[in-house]
Amino acid sequence: MAARSIPLEDLHRSIGASFGEFAGWKVPMSYTSTLEEHMAVRKDVGVFDISHMGRVAVKGPDALDLLEKIYTKKISKTKTGFLSGPTLALNTHARVKDDEMLYRISDDEWLLVPNAAAREAMIRHLKSVALQESYSVEVIDHTSDYSMLAIQGPRAIHVMEKLSKDAASLKPLEFQVNVTLGTARVFLVSRSGWTGEDGFEVWARHGDARKLLEELVSRYGVKPAGIAARDTLRIEAGFVLGGHEYGEDPTVFPCAVSLRYGLGAIDWSKKGYIGEPALRACRREGARWVRVGIVMKKKHARVIPRQGTKVVVEGIDVGWVTSGTFSPVIGRGVAQAYVDSRYALIGETIEVHVRGRLYEAKISEFPLVPLPSK
Amino acid sequence: MRRYEVETRDFVAVIVDELLYTETDEWVRVENGKARIGITDYAQKMLKDIVGVELPEKGSRVKRGDSVAILESVKTVAEVYSPVTGTIVEVNERLLEEPELLNKDPYGDGWIFAVELSDPGELEDLMSHERYAEKIRK
Repeated sequence: MAARSIPLEDLHRSIGASFGEFAGWKVPMSYTSTLEEHMAVRKDVGVFDISHMGRVAVKGPDALDLLEKIYTKKISKTKTGFLSGPTLALNTHARVKDDEMLYRISDDEWLLVPNAAAREAMIRHLKSVALQESYSVEVIDHTSDYSMLAIQGPRAIHVMEKLSKDAASLKPLEFQVNVTLGTARVFLVSRSGWTGEDGFEVWARHGDARKLLEELVSRYGVKPAGIAARDTLRIEAGFVLGGHEYGEDPTVFPCAVSLRYGLGAIDWSKKGYIGEPALRACRREGARWVRVGIVMKKKHARVIPRQGTKVVVEGIDVGWVTSGTFSPVIGRGVAQAYVDSRYALIGETIEVHVRGRLYEAKISEFPLVPLPSK
Repeated sequence: MRRYEVETRDFVAVIVDELLYTETDEWVRVENGKARIGITDYAQKMLKDIVGVELPEKGSRVKRGDSVAILESVKTVAEVYSPVTGTIVEVNERLLEEPELLNKDPYGDGWIFAVELSDPGELEDLMSHERYAEKIRK
């Protein structure tokens, strides 16, 4: 099956994108260099086209009940006009179907942004739970109706101040609908992102998204950044990705407790959601595996422990790498890994097994690089 | 030395005459009995952002086709094969601290190693720049 194109593919090509496939989509991988794009986001500002992600509306009098049944966070605590912050949808084994943020438009109208790989499964899941529980709710896939751009980095706020005073005044996780950004009229703008930096995410009809992207790049010098930089940024920040840190198969992925997601993604006082009994059982038993960061020691700075690399202590296999890359910020190979909880000691030295050799690295807490505090 | 631009599937790659080329995208510069070896512009553009290099040891013996160096890029990891048999007489240690030279100047400062040839006849099996251009053209 051919990969699905994002609506602004031609514009991306004209500004120098090289494309690759991700979750069935043909997406801009990079424009100039992943390292440059990464540093632009950490030090200045970059823009990503993330239209491959899902855009889904959940509407109806029982919308909140449906969402409470599916997600690990108390969704009712999200205020109107705000995003929920990250939360998890679990299966009955307490393995993660998807991590998402939910937008509260009103009491009975919500938006959510599933990961590209999980979009179809999440829509089916939402619909089937709604049917099973006889909830009065509609689940509408708006993915192809809007493009989605993420403007990320310390200068994002200064760019936004020029485009819209209202949008620039948004608090973290706050959003507004029907906003004019420069010459573009957009459906939604939120103060959010997935890079660990300050920034904004925008949903717009394709024509307006095109105007906005052109204006950001040519008028405000925002650097186009591809999905390869998005991945290296999220690894440094300690954010998780399906197929790497989580997935539904309990023989491959540890229980959601092991993610140590933080950010209030799991609310232990909440009851009655799918996967809760299994999740509590994992918590009672104690986590066998713990997600930790790994930073290569200086003498092996340029060794990259990639997904699947074994983590070794005293000759014993004690874990495996789920995502690895080179951190341009600290100039070291870095990774996320699951390590046996008895060996997952922050600050301790472990080894990684790369191409038949063992290299020393340190177990580190996330984020793996300094990030602005929220 | 002349440079030519070749349109490949995803980008324009530069090739240089006077060099010989391999199927695995190395170039070879013959310098009186020695072969200096690097990766082509096409190869560095495929790998992108090279951030780490493992080099062979000076004085080690290599056979044609042996994997002798490892290039670590953000995207992937790649092996560099020796196109000739002989003794490694030079390695470009600058690459250990500045692997980006492989991206910036693949035919110059980004060279990787040099081999003293045991069998100069092996060079006849390598490709001319015209043949290599055909191989990478879209």
